[in-house]
Amino acid sequence: MEEYLNKGIKDVISRFPKVADILNEYNIGCVPCSVGSCLLKDIVQIHNLSSEDEEALMTKIAKVIYPDRGIKMPKIQRKTQPKSREIKYSPPIKKLVDEHALIKKWLVLIPAVINDLNIETEDGRKLIYDGVYFIRSYADKFHHAKEEDILFKYFDENLDIIKSMHEDHETGRGHVKAIIEALERKDKKALIEHLNGYKELLMGHIKKEDDILYPWMDRGLSLQQVGELFSKFNEAEEKIGKEVVERCERFVKGAEEKLLKKQKEEEKT
Amino acid sequence: MNTFEGCPGSKMQDLRKKEETKGDESGKRESQLGQWPIQLHLVSPMAPYYQKRDVLLSADCVAYTVGDFHKDYLKGKSIAIACPKLDEGQDVYVEKIKSLIDDAKINTLTVMTMQVPCCAGLVAIARQALESAKRKIPIKSIVVSLQGDILSEDWV
Ligand SMILES: [Fe+2]
Ligand SMILES: [Fe+2]
Repeated sequence: MEEYLNKGIKDVISRFPKVADILNEYNIGCVPCSVGSCLLKDIVQIHNLSSEDEEALMTKIAKVIYPDRGIKMPKIQRKTQPKSREIKYSPPIKKLVDEHALIKKWLVLIPAVINDLNIETEDGRKLIYDGVYFIRSYADKFHHAKEEDILFKYFDENLDIIKSMHEDHETGRGHVKAIIEALERKDKKALIEHLNGYKELLMGHIKKEDDILYPWMDRGLSLQQVGELFSKFNEAEEKIGKEVVERCERFVKGAEEKLLKKQKEEEKT
Repeated sequence: MNTFEGCPGSKMQDLRKKEETKGDESGKRESQLGQWPIQLHLVSPMAPYYQKRDVLLSADCVAYTVGDFHKDYLKGKSIAIACPKLDEGQDVYVEKIKSLIDDAKINTLTVMTMQVPCCAGLVAIARQALESAKRKIPIKSIVVSLQGDILSEDWV
């Protein structure tokens, strides 16, 4: 059995497709993951299941792998025991979660932006350019840089979970580039495709970070590291400048008001 | 038992163990204290042992209550102790903690208090200091039961 605990999850799933359903049942989203080479034993650690859930999950997996034998999966040794399901973030991680909240506010507006898309007018194009400015400066230069240049450095960057986060950031940058190119070509179809692509990607990415990556990282950070991260994040905020952060916050608020107002007017007519 | 029923912080309770304690009593444990003085009125925020450190602000009674205080909580930290119920001049405490945050640029502050209500005053002092300080740092509050168990551990 040890053999499978030390195998990449994609390998396990491709040999035993039923394992995918079992993981889904426990809200472990490895199935659509682009990398998928996390080891089976690490997945249990990272997701911090309760010991009953862990036992049930592992027994189900063992039954799939060895249907004829009454094998029980060994318990995974963890650094810390899970306490409660409610997530309590440390102050530096909480900052990142709060930034996600602002990014998500813009992401959920994207369907309305698409619905209202008018690339022939200055105003219509401006909304997209402003949205791209928000993504590039707030989501990427500020938020993703805090993750890539500061937070991830405290962990083994060869871990697949971190590699997969880097990959998402890169894919996101690709969408943003394509959004600008499509806008300049006045290619509405491509513009919609990449706006949607960015939204879907980042929504999933943020969920993975909030629910899995960050809690797992928080469990591994020492008190000293929490303090260091907090002060490094404060420095990053000073570096990008209060005005930029405030401008981004104002942009989302303004876009929200404008698009929601329009939506209400449309509903009335 | 003739208990004083007023303030829960001073209410008499007999916590003697019925059986012998089962903990391992072998070997000697070293003190983890790395400084003197420790009382909040006596310490100077300018002392080298506070600069950029993780600091433990402990209510006086905590160290007598938590069996592994040195090993689990004092180790690796600098300390200041105070009693939010009995000590005079608590505005000075606020100023001192503010100076620890702004001048000594401490990395984190962990406030350990007893579960009795009046002890929460120490967390309030720390919070007040943080609000008036220019720098911001993570503050953790750990509450200890009269039996020495950790009741809660939360970021303020
Ligand atoms: Fe990220
Ligand atoms: Fe993020």
